Parts: sequence; C-alpha cells; structure tokens
Amino acid sequence: MKKFIKIALLTTTAAMLSFGAQAKETVVWWDFLSGGDGVRMKALIEKFNAEHADTIEIQPTTLEWGVPFYSKAQTSAAIGEGPDVMTYHLSRMPLGISTGTLAEITADDLAGVGLSGDNFAASNWQAAQADGKQYAVPFDIHSVILYYNKDKLAEAGLIGDNGLPTGLDGVDNFNAALEKLQAAGTQYGVSIHSAAADSQWRIFLGLLAQQGGEFMDANGEFLSGDNLDKAVNVTELVASWVANGQAPEQTDYAASIALFTSGEAAMHINGVWEVPTMTDLHAKGELFEWGAIQLPTFYDKPGTWADSHSFVIPNNVGKEQTAEKRKAVMEVIAWMNKNSISWANAGHIPAYTAVRESEEFKNMQPNAVYSTLADTAVFDPQSKLAGVASPVYDAVGNYMVPAINGEMEARQAIEEMRDDLNDQRD
Amino acid sequence: MIRSRRSEITWALILVAPFVAAYLVLFIWPTIQMVLLSFTDAPLIGPGNWIGLDNYFEMFEDRRFKTAVVNTGYFVLLTVIPNTLVGLLIAIGVNRLKGWQQSLVLALFFLPYILPVSVVYLMWNWMFDTQFGIMQGPLTMIFGKPTHVFRTTWLFMPAVALVTIWWTCGFNILLFLAGLRSISPEIYEAASLDNAGRFKQFFRITWPLIWPVTALVLTIQLILQLKIFDQVYLFVQGGRADPSMVLVQYIYNQAFQKSEGGYAATISVALFVIIITVSVLQYTALRARGAK
Repeated sequence: MKKFIKIALLTTTAAMLSFGAQAKETVVWWDFLSGGDGVRMKALIEKFNAEHADTIEIQPTTLEWGVPFYSKAQTSAAIGEGPDVMTYHLSRMPLGISTGTLAEITADDLAGVGLSGDNFAASNWQAAQADGKQYAVPFDIHSVILYYNKDKLAEAGLIGDNGLPTGLDGVDNFNAALEKLQAAGTQYGVSIHSAAADSQWRIFLGLLAQQGGEFMDANGEFLSGDNLDKAVNVTELVASWVANGQAPEQTDYAASIALFTSGEAAMHINGVWEVPTMTDLHAKGELFEWGAIQLPTFYDKPGTWADSHSFVIPNNVGKEQTAEKRKAVMEVIAWMNKNSISWANAGHIPAYTAVRESEEFKNMQPNAVYSTLADTAVFDPQSKLAGVASPVYDAVGNYMVPAINGEMEARQAIEEMRDDLNDQRD
Repeated sequence: MIRSRRSEITWALILVAPFVAAYLVLFIWPTIQMVLLSFTDAPLIGPGNWIGLDNYFEMFEDRRFKTAVVNTGYFVLLTVIPNTLVGLLIAIGVNRLKGWQQSLVLALFFLPYILPVSVVYLMWNWMFDTQFGIMQGPLTMIFGKPTHVFRTTWLFMPAVALVTIWWTCGFNILLFLAGLRSISPEIYEAASLDNAGRFKQFFRITWPLIWPVTALVLTIQLILQLKIFDQVYLFVQGGRADPSMVLVQYIYNQAFQKSEGGYAATISVALFVIIITVSVLQYTALRARGAK
C-alpha cells in the first residue's frame, strides 16, 4: 500500500512538473532603484509582463540601495532564498564573486537569447567578467556630468558659437571661469555635495584618471608611487574651490541640488540620474534653460568615473535553476537591454550598443551631448574594498571630505587614506 | 509540610520553564554559535573554514578596532556621568514642585524618551541644518560661521552625546524621583531642627540615601552607552565614519558591508567581554563606595 502511494505521488509530481514547463514561468526580480529610476523601471517591467502575458511574469521587489541591498543579496543566495534575477552594480561584483553570491552566465545562456559581447562596449563587457567568466550582463553606464545654467554662463561669456559651454577645459581655465561667474553675480561657480563621500569619490576618480593615475595598481596596492601626488592634486583643487567660496562648504546632496536649481550656483556636478529632475522642473516652467556636458578635461586627457547597473543571477545554494527558468531569466535580461531606450530617459547611457547608437538616442537631449563620456569612462578598481557603499567610500568620507572642507591638510589626508586602505587588504 | 514544599518547587519550575526555554533558544544558543563563528572565515551567512585564533590575532593588530574601542570609550565618558548628574539635578528640582505642576514638568522631561530614534534624528538634524537650522544661531555666534556639526570631526561625538542625554535623561529622572520620594520627610525635618542648611542636607542626607539608585542608573547607562549604535549610524549618513566608528558600527560594517561574518563575530565576542568586564569593575567600585 505504502509503495503504491509512493508511486502515485511520484507520478503525479512528475506530471505536474512536465505540465509546469508549459505553464507560465515566474521570474522573481529584485532591484534597488528608487526615485526616477524606480518609476521608469516599473514601467519597463509592466510593459514586459504585458507583452509576455502567456509565458513569463516578472514579480518585482525593490529593496534599499547600498549596504542593505548587498547584504541581503549575499544572505538570501547563501540559503537558497534569493531571487531569480537582480540588478547589481558592476563595481560591487568583486565582493559578490568572493562570497559566492553570483552564478556564472555561460556562453550558451547568452547565445540562447542572441546576446554576446559584441552587443556592448568592450570596457563595459569586460567589467562584468572575472577570471574569464561572465557574471553579469551590463544594462547601462552611468556617471557624473556637469549641469550648467545657460543664462549665467552666457552672461559670463562662457557659451561658444555652438551653444555649448566653452573655456572650461584645464584647471586654470576652469578656475578663471568660476571667477567670471562670481563676478557676474552668482554666489557659487559650481555646486558640489562637499559633505558626501560617494559624490566626492565620483569626481575624484575621473580627475585622477585624467592625469593618468590609477587608484589601485596591478598588485592591488592603493595609491602607490606618484598616484599619491596625483590624488593630492585633485583633492587640493576641489579644496581650493571650497576655500575660495566658489563651491559650498559641507553641503549635503539635496542642498547642493537646491543651490543649482535656485540659481545660486551656475554649475553643478552630479550623477546623470538627476537629469529627469531637471527635465521635469523645466517642463513645469520652474527651471531656467539648462544643459549638461561631460566633465571638463582638467588635466591631460578626458576621463570620467562610471559605474554600471547590470543584471546578475544569484547562485542560490541548493536550488539550481531549471533550464526553463534560466531561459526565462535570460529572456528578461535580453528584452530589458533591447528596450533600454526608455531607461535612457532616466539619464543613463544604454549599455546595449544598438540602442546607444540608435537615432532615437542620438536625438535625446542632453544625453547625446554627454554620452561621449562612455568612451573614456573609468570604472572602480576591481577589489572587494571598492564599489558602491564600500570601504573605499568610507575612506573618502574619513580623509578626503575633511580635506576638501579645510579640516585637514590634503597631503596628510590622502597619505592616511592610502595607509588605511592598504591596511584593509587581505 | 514536606509535600507542599516539594509541590512549591515543582510549581516554581513550571512557572520559570517558558522563560528559561526562551533564554536558552534566543540567547545562550546564538551566543555559543557566535563564539564558534569567530574561529572561522565564514561570510555573512554560509559555510566557512576553521581558522583557529587567526581572527583574534588580526583583531589585536587592527588599527580600526582600536579606534572603535577608543571612540566607544569617549562616548561613554561624554554620556554616562553627565546623563546621571543631569537626571539627579532635574529630579531634585521636580521633587520640589507639587501637584499638577510636578506632573506637567515631569511629562515634558519624559517626552523625548518615548520618541523613536528615527524621529530624534530627523528633528535634531533639521535643527542643526546649515541652511535653516534653528541651532545655527548660537553656533554661528560661537564659531563665526554656520557649522555642520555632524560633518565636523571633533564636534561629532559631543553633538551626538548631547542629543543622547536629551533623549534618554527622562528615564533617569523617573528612577531618581522614585528614590527621592522614598526618603522620609522626618529626616529632613530633624535636620532642619539641628540647623543643617540646604547644602548640608543634600550631602549628608539625600546623597547617601539616593546612592543605591545612582549606582543602578550608572550601571544601566554604562551598558546602554557601550552598545551605542543607532544614533551614530543615523547621524553619520554618508559623512565621516572614523570619528564615529563605534564598536557596534564596526561589527555592522564587517558583517554587512564587507561580508566578513567570522571577523564580525570576533569583534562581537570582544564587545561582550568588554561590557562584562567594565560592568563588574564598576559594580565592585560602587559597592565599595556604598559600604562606607
């Protein structure tokens, strides 16, 4: 009798499983996207679900950005309770790989939905790899840009014939421009969030790369050799803006945006993700004529910090994805990339080359103007200590931010930052 | 007689069993797990390798751990004794009032204590705001310019300590008030008849009689402030980590930011040992003082 029940149970389960394969696949999705990003992503997911009503359904959950998201990703995957797919910053990938959180995405997985490295910019595709294995599929490139107030720049004679800012390249020119802007009656030449570590890191890494410096060398050592001097140059430059009253002191994120939108600052350095904020304000008639460009070249060559939102598949311990589920997940990833033009509305530069080079994107303002930064983008060093909300961010907050606000001497601060980070290496 | 004694013991055992069970499952078992974890290199969750005492060696060479110990100690110095004194002085003042006035004043002082920490953070952060904070008036007078106290290295801890005292002294006031009320008025009357002035009365009567309560308040405060985390975590918000790196914050960073579960457990064991040692030392010192 017992045997009979066992067999009966087994056959029904088998029947249900084979039936399930033809039924709708659900894809559990986690992201950390809030604000304008969140709104646009939800719209994309709804569109996907409508188009795949009979085959695949995304079940999305949004978690808190930063440390909470990444700790939850690690813990849930370790006990096999993670999602089927999640968004991930490429800069945080090294930690995810070291803790075994990320599953490898094989060439077959990619080929099954017609994706390959040829669809993406080479530097971006390589940033999603480790030890020759693919762990993520890029979705966008996002960076910091220079927002500017057209009227104020025009008054100070800083708008060229092509209608774009001119005379900002090179440290001396930029500083002269700041003085011209102040002389023309603006309180601050440039508004930065001088109290926020993450933002200072984003400015700093680009300007370090512009001098040919690297934050971490091939041996994994931080600020070795003359990289230290180059880092001091950048810190002293930003500190001088604050000291001369051309940039606000000890200012947080929201306040620094407010200084720009209220016209008290003529320029503003912030992430591309604030483009919708400006667009919406302007559409409501509450903002002056504005634009955004790639960060000026202060030193020898162009270079801007960048990070990438990407898609990863968690390595759910004890719960191998079925082939059908994997196929559905890959379908989600491919579809999102092919439809990423609406993601570009959030200010991001699409990672998928076909979208990035499409006419529609080329006509998108101001994205098209600053999207050139993708060619000289610098990603965070590939280290467990680097990336979003990482020990590197903390170190910037501990040493560089006080130096920028005149609480510490720049060289001493950067030396301490170097020693602190080198102490933390494995 | 003997039978009833036995049944009493049985009853007592039955009555404490639920608590003991919960204590074993929710405290003793996790603590043992934590100590075991501290000998491994496990991530936040998941298997790790047994590495013996390596984490402990690493901890004693860890500059940042020492910073965390020093910062926690500094915070304890800034809060424990001032908070106790503030509580005692306000309690003495409140004790002089009568009837509804007393209830009203007491309620006002106790109000902050029932606020959740997030509300306390939002309120003070807004008051200290550099652009339009109400506190910038006095701060500008002192420093000559608007100052962001939670972003100024040397001001951070004192500012958080000030907020903490404001937030938690209501509880101390209540304890002291109960102590003061238990002192019989006849003693003061007798002292007045013997021509003892107010100061003499305080130091010869109130202070000795209130001492047990003081010892209790100090011990509670010490344990609470050694575990300081929420205020610091909230007020630092993307600002400086180093001047604010307290022990629990350091444990949090190791576990959640760096995914170093084994090392986080090691620091937790250290915090456990520190709290027990300091509490025992303080208790002994206070008892010696009380026995005089």
